Amino acid sequence: MKALLLLPCLLAFFANATVWAAESASPRALVARAAAESERAQTRQLLSAAVGRADETVAPLLDAWRRDTLFLHSRADGGRIAVLLSGEKDDRGAQSALRADDGQPLQDEAGRPMRLVAADLPTAEHDASLRRTMKAILDLAELAAADPGRRTRSVRNLGLAQDVEKLPVLLARETVESAPEVRRALREAIALLRLKDPREEIRITALQELQAVSSLATADVLARVIQEESAAGNRRALEAARKAQQAVEWHRTKVDFAGTLFRGLSLGSILLVAALGLAITFGLMRVINMAHGELIAVGAYTTYLTQAFFGSGMTLPCFGLSLPVPGLQLAGSSREAYFIAALPASFLAAATAGLVLERGIIRFLYRRPLESLLATWGVSLVLQQALRLIFGPNNVQVSSPSYLSGNWLVGDVILGWNRVFVIGFALLIVLGMGLVLTRSSLGLLIRASMQNRTMAACLGVRTERVNALTFALGSGLAGLAGAFLSQIGNVGPSLGQGYIIDSFMVVVVGGVGSLGGTILSAFGIGGIDQVLQQYLPLVAPGLAWVPGIGGFLQNLAQDAAVFGKILVLAGIILFLQWRPAGLFSPRSRTLDE
Amino acid sequence: MKLRLLLASGAIALGLSSSGLRSAETVKVGVLHSLSGTMAISETSLRDILLFTFDEINARGGVLGRKIEPVVVDGASNWPLFAEKAKQLLEQDKVAVTFGCWTSVSRKSVLPVYERNNGLLFYPVQYEGEEESQNVAYTAEAVNQQATPAVDYYLKEGKKKFYLLGSDYVYPQTTNLVLLEYLLSKGVPLANIGGGFRRDGSGKIISAGKYTPFGHIDYQQIVAEIKQFAASGDACVISTLNGDTNVPFFKEYAASGLTSETCPVVSFSISEDEFRGLPADKLVGQLGCWTYFQSLNTPANKKFVADFQTWLKKSNVPGLVKEGRVTCSPMVLSYVGVYIWKAAVEKAGSFEVDKVRAAWKSGLTFDGPGGKVTTQKNMHLTKNVYIGETRADGQFKIVSSFDNVYGEPWLKGKFK
Repeated sequence: MKALLLLPCLLAFFANATVWAAESASPRALVARAAAESERAQTRQLLSAAVGRADETVAPLLDAWRRDTLFLHSRADGGRIAVLLSGEKDDRGAQSALRADDGQPLQDEAGRPMRLVAADLPTAEHDASLRRTMKAILDLAELAAADPGRRTRSVRNLGLAQDVEKLPVLLARETVESAPEVRRALREAIALLRLKDPREEIRITALQELQAVSSLATADVLARVIQEESAAGNRRALEAARKAQQAVEWHRTKVDFAGTLFRGLSLGSILLVAALGLAITFGLMRVINMAHGELIAVGAYTTYLTQAFFGSGMTLPCFGLSLPVPGLQLAGSSREAYFIAALPASFLAAATAGLVLERGIIRFLYRRPLESLLATWGVSLVLQQALRLIFGPNNVQVSSPSYLSGNWLVGDVILGWNRVFVIGFALLIVLGMGLVLTRSSLGLLIRASMQNRTMAACLGVRTERVNALTFALGSGLAGLAGAFLSQIGNVGPSLGQGYIIDSFMVVVVGGVGSLGGTILSAFGIGGIDQVLQQYLPLVAPGLAWVPGIGGFLQNLAQDAAVFGKILVLAGIILFLQWRPAGLFSPRSRTLDE
Repeated sequence: MKLRLLLASGAIALGLSSSGLRSAETVKVGVLHSLSGTMAISETSLRDILLFTFDEINARGGVLGRKIEPVVVDGASNWPLFAEKAKQLLEQDKVAVTFGCWTSVSRKSVLPVYERNNGLLFYPVQYEGEEESQNVAYTAEAVNQQATPAVDYYLKEGKKKFYLLGSDYVYPQTTNLVLLEYLLSKGVPLANIGGGFRRDGSGKIISAGKYTPFGHIDYQQIVAEIKQFAASGDACVISTLNGDTNVPFFKEYAASGLTSETCPVVSFSISEDEFRGLPADKLVGQLGCWTYFQSLNTPANKKFVADFQTWLKKSNVPGLVKEGRVTCSPMVLSYVGVYIWKAAVEKAGSFEVDKVRAAWKSGLTFDGPGGKVTTQKNMHLTKNVYIGETRADGQFKIVSSFDNVYGEPWLKGKFK
């Protein structure tokens, strides 16, 4: 019965489309004609007519249009026809041409299939408004998509567009929809559309529905509804709208809180990954290693080279010589696997650099920490300049593989895959480091040598070798950090400069020589920074009471990204006044400490 | 009175030098850009295009029959050094005109030098306005030739909410204040402008938008805020982020699921040249707004691009990067500046700054790669404004254009 009632609505909805149906049979042909049309207004009209009629053939066509791979072929009679190019390129670069309207091969006057060169043909034009129409077409087609995530998105878009004409489509979908997240989105979208209903009762039910759903996307609509209802004097609707708004705001508070926790965790992990290498070279070995940042950069550039190696290769101008990097010419997902290979590669590259640095310079300076500071600072300048000479002064592009550039949306909290990855990655290497140091014989030797080199040497430990290996291990960890940091920031010759201060800060606050302290201080600093960034603007209005500088503080608190960092730094300075040795200072029986 | 005397004596000195001391066949022209330091990446391109333009003009007989002799000095991204180098150009080398500066702070630094010596500086990079010196020829985009057309475009696209984001220095701060007034004048309520406001004691807004320092990396919180701001689907971001902070911003932006369709970003500081260091796949579909794009499909532009590439191949300027070069708006405005100066000199029949300035004010036109430009009495240029969408190959596809936009430096308090 319900379905019968819906039928007229659906018919009415498709009515304007049928006007065009007389002229062109399939929605696909409609889109093809729209693309070939030179008048923008005509294109718009033709394309709008395809809304709601899309079938599975239309999506790839619209996709090609948006990606500029839908080409226009001018026929002898002056008319234009939209074509797709497919198949292998021949020696003059031509591919076989398919008509966009029916997918059949394009034929010349003599009836032979034509081959065209992509570079010679103009592409079908599009602008944002056309793309919106395309999106509307796809949204409606998407309602029937197999993937529930895609259905949810399309339902959301339809609801927010607040186009009442779409209500029957959504109601029809609701009767057959079974996936819970899509049903939730449908409830929200239908309620949003019902807010446009002239009857107050219906609007109140819709508002109650929105209160139950409490979705962030509805916040603006609700604010508008409150204005409208209070202007119209509808007391009950106003009350319902206020309640719905409160529910949304409460939801926002929860999302902000959970999001802040997650962001703090991820920033902490980044700090930890960047500082872990230093926790070994500086923390355990007491080498004030100013080149730590450049070892991170070595890791990042290794990632860049690995990417080139998996792709089309490159040529490096290396001190007057051209150094060719061969390319595997991979494509698709096997090319994207470069990042997996880049992890061990950057570890090895940075470890090798660390080994050379230790054998060449640092081993002479173990008893002279201040000189090691100057020497490694010099090394950092040399490394920076070397990177600049080899890779050029500009930043290089490291693309994020698709498995690191998506996100999960858990109750409106964004969990970026790259962030989840870094948290897991940090935990893994911390665990690995812990195992190596406490459970392996190498770890035993490292700990013995670092506590007392002379004593360990007396007991037969080859401390020279242990020193070199430990420094290489710390450097390798810096390289791993570089591989990861290439995914979230810039890769340039001065990449390391941005992380060196933070790394030292983390190690010093944690307590030099204590891995556990490093972990705790990284997460502490990351968490506090994110909490300040999120909540400083909220407390800003409350700062007005401070005599004299109240207004100044209020404005400063608005710039939470900067002010938060200042507060963290100030906090660290105060903390170190109180505990100069950091969170955990390893106990030692050495007399000179 | 004293000042006028000083100016007059400067002018006489300059006049004397132009007739007496210089060799008869050449005219000295200053090029004042950072060829080292942080700004070198951007500014070296401007030196290159200027040298190309001088070669092009010299090959056709020079200016008033005299060949251009460039005097290239390095400001080294060091603002006080800019002033010293400017002084050297004007007092020692006695250049007839200078083409130079990128950052607003370098321009502010050399301004007194040019005013004292009555020199002439051609300034080619988009800037914040609120300045009108008789000794600077602003070929640059004023705020109403870049920022406000972008807002117009967004309004036409049906956007209702605007998030302002920028690097923390004078250009973004001033631009965003002008934009705030402009948006309010267009009926956008304060609640729909994102990024936060800072007020003075009386409650008047003195700064709008979200700012991050140069070299900022962690954009998680800001992107999460934009994501909430854009949940209603009718929001956009106006970005004056400068330099390489764009990389972490756009990487975070893409990772959070925001796209040019859900919430587009228009960036005023990303041109084709900056694009070379950015992740192109993360930026596809985002907008740029300039008075020139390399993809402009006009014969004049195609010839310009081809000529520049030919020049790059055969030029032997030391340190010149020859591969992967593009042209962008600041480069074209440098190029246009040289030709306008040439036209002004030829109209005045003299290299004297006062006469050249008078010729500029009389309204000269030049058909450049970006279309026709016309000089204005306020030392700015009327020119076409284009809005482009970024493509994966680092070029822009033009989606909208505004013809003959008058360059207006004084915008604060103009939109009510």
